[in-house]
Amino acid sequence: MENNATSNEYVRGTLKTIVLNLLAEHDRMYGYEITQEVKERTGGAIALTFGALYPVLHKLEQEGMLLTESVEVDGRLRKYYSLTTPGNEAARNKTNDLERFIDAVRLLLAPRLAAE
Amino acid sequence: MKRLQKNRIEQLSTYLLANKLNPELLPEILDHLACEAEERLWDGKSFEQAFNGIVETADTQTLLNLSVDHKHLLAMGKSLDDIVFEGRNKLYGAYALRKGYGQTMQRSVLLGVTLFLGMVLLPNLYARLVPEAKPEDIAYVVEFTDAEIRPDVKPVPPPVKEEPRPVEKTIRSVIPTVVPDENVDVEYTPPLTEELETAKAGQETQDGLVDVDIITAPSAGNIPGNSIAAEVLPEKVKEYIAVDQKPEYAGGNAAMGAFLQKHLRYPSEAIKANIQGRVFLEFTVGADGKIENVKSVKGIGFGCDEEAIRVVKLMPEWKPGKQAGVPVRVRFTLPIMFQMN
Repeated sequence: MENNATSNEYVRGTLKTIVLNLLAEHDRMYGYEITQEVKERTGGAIALTFGALYPVLHKLEQEGMLLTESVEVDGRLRKYYSLTTPGNEAARNKTNDLERFIDAVRLLLAPRLAAE
Repeated sequence: MKRLQKNRIEQLSTYLLANKLNPELLPEILDHLACEAEERLWDGKSFEQAFNGIVETADTQTLLNLSVDHKHLLAMGKSLDDIVFEGRNKLYGAYALRKGYGQTMQRSVLLGVTLFLGMVLLPNLYARLVPEAKPEDIAYVVEFTDAEIRPDVKPVPPPVKEEPRPVEKTIRSVIPTVVPDENVDVEYTPPLTEELETAKAGQETQDGLVDVDIITAPSAGNIPGNSIAAEVLPEKVKEYIAVDQKPEYAGGNAAMGAFLQKHLRYPSEAIKANIQGRVFLEFTVGADGKIENVKSVKGIGFGCDEEAIRVVKLMPEWKPGKQAGVPVRVRFTLPIMFQMN
């Protein structure tokens, strides 16, 4: 749990990019599917809580990055999200940005690790 | 994959509603939590355990945060007007006015500034576009030609044809005179009475028309001393333009000038408008000298015409015009000069 809490701090800044990137890989996804996908691919290292995920989804939707469609499944309404054209572009840009940032962070962290 | 029963889903729904989750978010969160619950059931837990687990992750604070986040998100897209008018009657008109206020202001400011600048700059612009006329500039040339002024030619009455007088038939009838015998004209015999019935007595015997009844004007010598000349009645109906003797103001032109000077008042309108000139009046001088039918033929307006007519009507009787010695009605034209000093 403590581990999760620390990772949440970093997740908060990268969540938008993660969501856009996942949606770029898939045709359409719903909220729970995204959390499960993240959990599976990171082996549980990153756990998205719905309290963090949905505001990001709604914000992206309002910014015109995402399209939504509601489909009834098992007597419940399921809201699917898919990328719009500007959303696709944003996904590419943000992913590139994040990669460069991670490289930079790695460079920053390397000397200290070497010293130890 | 185990499915949640309807009553279980409703249980979740009531839990979410109890925590005042935004209704807009409800279906999505419900689906999410249902999926989670199904997952836990799949892991072999009972629904109660799964439900408790869900309540732990989706506690009141988390749900509240979600609602607040959503509200903020919506508010970002809203203007102040939307917030002010939330839940109020937007069709009433005030909403539309407030929403269009910015645009209205922008337009009115632009229009106002444009009009103001236009008003200020227009005279300047006009002066630039239309150059001022210099005194040496000649606008146009007017050529003066000698005006030809001719006096009105009055139609000359056709000359009266003098018919030759018919010659009377006369028979020599000489008043017998006493002469000495040797001088007596033997051949002459006095005319017979029959002859004198058809002819007149004359100095010579002459052939002529027999039945013409000619009245010759009596010569001055022939009029008996006590005879009274028959009064010739003036002709009334006919109106002459040209006559032998023109009508005249009693006392002559000088007296008429004095009369006009005395009675004419310069009309105030004409003074204001600085009008001067001649008013041509036409009137009839009756055979008795009275002035009738006064009208202006050619006036200058501004009350001058009426004034001239008024004064002419005031005039005393004229000396009537005469045709062949008979007083007749004459149409007379009189110019009256209005001139300022």
